[in-house]
Amino acid sequence: MIKHHPTQDLLVNHANGNLPLSMAMAVSAHCSLCDTCKEQLAQLTAQAADLVLAQPKTQNVISGEDTNSNQYEHEGTKTFATQNATLDIEAMMERIMAQPVATNIPNNAPLAVQIKQQHYTVPSAFRQHLTRPWQILGKVSRMRFDVDEMGTRASLLHIDAQGEIPQHTHKGYELTLLLAGEFSDLNGNYVPGDFIMLDGQHQHSPKTVNGCLCYTVLDAPLHFTKGISKLLNPIGELIY
Amino acid sequence: MENIQSQSRQNRYHGPITSLTNAAMDNDTPAHTNLESQVDALAMLILQVADNRDKAAFGQLFQYFMPKIRAFGLQRLNQQGLAMDLVQETMTSVWTKAHLYNAEKGAVTTWVFTIMRNQCFDMLRRVQHNREDTFGDDIWPLCDATSEYDIQPDHKLTAQLLKHLDALPLAQKQVVQGIYMQELTQQELADALKVPIGTIKSRLRLGLEKLKSFLEIHND
Ligand SMILES: [Zn+2]
Repeated sequence: MIKHHPTQDLLVNHANGNLPLSMAMAVSAHCSLCDTCKEQLAQLTAQAADLVLAQPKTQNVISGEDTNSNQYEHEGTKTFATQNATLDIEAMMERIMAQPVATNIPNNAPLAVQIKQQHYTVPSAFRQHLTRPWQILGKVSRMRFDVDEMGTRASLLHIDAQGEIPQHTHKGYELTLLLAGEFSDLNGNYVPGDFIMLDGQHQHSPKTVNGCLCYTVLDAPLHFTKGISKLLNPIGELIY
Repeated sequence: MENIQSQSRQNRYHGPITSLTNAAMDNDTPAHTNLESQVDALAMLILQVADNRDKAAFGQLFQYFMPKIRAFGLQRLNQQGLAMDLVQETMTSVWTKAHLYNAEKGAVTTWVFTIMRNQCFDMLRRVQHNREDTFGDDIWPLCDATSEYDIQPDHKLTAQLLKHLDALPLAQKQVVQGIYMQELTQQELADALKVPIGTIKSRLRLGLEKLKSFLEIHND
């Protein structure tokens, strides 16, 4: 059972489209794996939509067939009260209605990922990122996504059976979303869908018995804390 | 009856049925009923666009949503021109993707909000990161492949409901007849009418809601 979920705050911000790409993908992917959060996100989205797009209760319902040229003045916005603006609007509507019905719309079916002869499926949120190359270092493989967010690193991380990441702390937060398989650290065992957010205070060294595939987001490079691991710092950079 | 009501409670944002249950409990909420009939009216307009490429229906949707999207765009993008780009991009998707709207999944406002927010997400990345990528629709998919569920016909209800069949718009009548009288599957109907299965579901839902509203009126 999934025990670790995004906070309410993250879900609200996700519903409103306020999160950066790296985190929006994480919350979206979690919701693909967690029906509880998916349901909650749907409700939060409907609430956000109500605030922005529902008619205020004091006004009447949509006015009906009337499409006279003064309609935009009734909206009460000076900028669009001019005849020219009205013509612009009409031109826009004509351009829009010249468009054909859209086809080939991507759906949210999970996508296949293959690494080291293992076959996995991952949520469709990652659809346009999965063509990036894998970088393999021993039991650890990483596919770093190009999210272009000032130092944030977003990656798929695969660890082979019996593999582990050296103990480390983080400067900023570290998000791990387990997509497939299992791993454990000092805090316990994790199942697919678990959304694990650690701040800079925490140390951990994830180990996996049977192998796992994760999505990770780091907003700062890792800093390894164990003596021996210090020497491995460049590898840490490479891993994530 | 049980069947339809319990389905309606699963989604409080699904307007028309909720209004029926509310109306049964509390007859003194005209503002609320108004809001619900707005929800119903928007759904009808989307279906007219989806089914008939109905320009007048689209014009009404445009009138309704344009100022709201523009206000949202101004707030997020902080520039008149970008706000109007958001209006254009959002309403273009409403026109070209109307067939994807599924009344079972929620109100039209939620669907349009999804399109608008996704578009705005991509526009913000363009402004802030100078990126031409379009990830919004991957993160919040418009097309749900995983959560299809079917409305199970309830035959106890059928005979009573079908008495009012002729009061339905043709498109809904076809679907209700097909499911309840000819016992076609939703997929068979979609194939026969050459519309997506989501449209069949929407019409069936709207049709049943309307029939049920007739029943409630007659029972009072
Ligand atoms: Zn969850």
